[in-house]
Amino acid sequence: MSAERYNRQIILKGFGEEAQQQLLRAKVLVIGAGGLGCPSLQYLAAAGIGHIGIVDDDTISLSNLHRQILYTTADIGKLKVEVAARRLQEMNTQIGIIRHPIRLQKNNILDIVSRYDFILDGTDNFESRYLINDACALLNKPLIFAAVSGFEGQLAIFNTPDHLTPSTNYRDLFPVPPNKGEIPNCAENGIIGVLPGILGTMAAAETIKLIVKIGQPLTNKILNYNLLTQEQYTINISHGNSYTLPKTVDEFLNMDYQDTSEGPQGYIEIDASELVKLQQSESTILIDVREKHEVPVLDKQIYTQVPMSEFGPFLNKEFYQKQVVLICQHGIRSVAAAEALQEKYGDAKKIYSLKGGIVKWRDHFLKS
Amino acid sequence: MEIEIISFGQITEFIKHQKIDIAGITDTETFKQYIENQFPALKGMKYKLALNKNIVQENTEITKKAVIAIMPPFSGG
Repeated sequence: MSAERYNRQIILKGFGEEAQQQLLRAKVLVIGAGGLGCPSLQYLAAAGIGHIGIVDDDTISLSNLHRQILYTTADIGKLKVEVAARRLQEMNTQIGIIRHPIRLQKNNILDIVSRYDFILDGTDNFESRYLINDACALLNKPLIFAAVSGFEGQLAIFNTPDHLTPSTNYRDLFPVPPNKGEIPNCAENGIIGVLPGILGTMAAAETIKLIVKIGQPLTNKILNYNLLTQEQYTINISHGNSYTLPKTVDEFLNMDYQDTSEGPQGYIEIDASELVKLQQSESTILIDVREKHEVPVLDKQIYTQVPMSEFGPFLNKEFYQKQVVLICQHGIRSVAAAEALQEKYGDAKKIYSLKGGIVKWRDHFLKS
Repeated sequence: MEIEIISFGQITEFIKHQKIDIAGITDTETFKQYIENQFPALKGMKYKLALNKNIVQENTEITKKAVIAIMPPFSGG
C-alpha cells in the first residue's frame, strides 16, 4: 500500500494507519452503477477500499449522463460495469475491482452477496430493493441503503445492531413493496443530477464509517434529505411486527419479488408495430395515462386521456371497446393501469401496454 | 391536541407542513384515521408515520406538542 496516496486521511485525527488498513481489507459490493452508484464507487475506490464489486446489467444511455458522472458521451451503449471498473481502476491501481454484469435475482444474489462484507444498495426499483434487503437480512450483511425521489433522498443502514437496538431492516419501515406505478421512479418523475450525487456520496461516507467504526453511522435510523431546503430529518427505526423475512435459503427462493419475467400476467406488452395493427380495429381504445401537463402532447382524437391520478374513477365507468392499449412515457405506469383493468375485466377485454412507452417509440409518435 | 405535521416525497404535494389543533386525536391510530379522511389520496399509498422522530410500529399515545412525520418509500437511484 502506498501510504502517500492516502496520506491526507491517514494523518486525520481519529483515522490513522489502522483505519486505512481496515479499508484495504474491506470487501464492498455496490449494486447499481447509476446516479447513486457512480459517486459511491468513486469515493470508495479513492479512499482505498481493497475489494469493490459492481453489479449492473445496464448499458449507458444519453439520459444517464447528467447524473452518472463516471461515464462520458463516448461511452454510450457500453456496459456500465465495464466502463466504471476501467475508470475506477485507472484512478486507483492498488485496489481490486470485480465486475458483475448481471441483474440480481433470487437464484444468484445469495452467492454474490455472500462474497462481500458490506452491501451498498444504489438500485432504482422496489423489486431489487426488497430482494437485496431480504438477501442481506438472511446472510446478516450490513446494508447501506440510499434512494432518491424528486428533490429528496433517503439514507439508512440496515442489518447492523447498535448499543440500543438489534438490527432492523427495510421491511421495518415498509413491510411490503408499493404497487407498480404507485411511487414514480426517476424515469417517470425526473431527477436533478446533483441529488443522487449527494446521497451516493453520503452512502459512501456511511460505508467508510461502518468499516473503520468512527462517528455515529445511521444504524437503525433513516435520514430524509431535502435538496431544496438543505434540511435533514432523521427518524429512529424500531422493529415492526407486520412482516416475515425468509429465514432459510428455501424460504428465500419461494418469496415473490414481483419479477415480471416470472409467472403469468394477464395483459400483453406490445411494440409500436403491434400498436399500429391494433389501432386499425374499431374495437380498440388507445388510452394515454400520462398526466395532462406531460409532453409530447398526443392527438386527443386518437388517444383518450385518462391520467393515472384520475384512473380510479375511470375504472368505475364502462366502455364498449374490447381491446385496450395503454400508453405512458416509459411503459411503467401503463403496466399499472393494465393490471388494474385486467383485474376488473379478466378475459372480457384484451389489455395491452406499450413496452418502453412514448420515449422508446418517439419516432412513431412524432410522425403520427 | 396540537400536532405539527411534516411530510416527505410526493406526500408533500397534498399534505403541506402544518399545525393542527383538534380535540380527540390522542393516539397515532386516531391521527391516521383523521389524516386519511382529510387527504383520501393517502389511503391508497404506502407510508410510515414517525412520532417525535420515532417510527410508529403500534398504536402510540400522542402527548402535547407532538411532531408527526409522514414518509413514503423512495426507490429512485
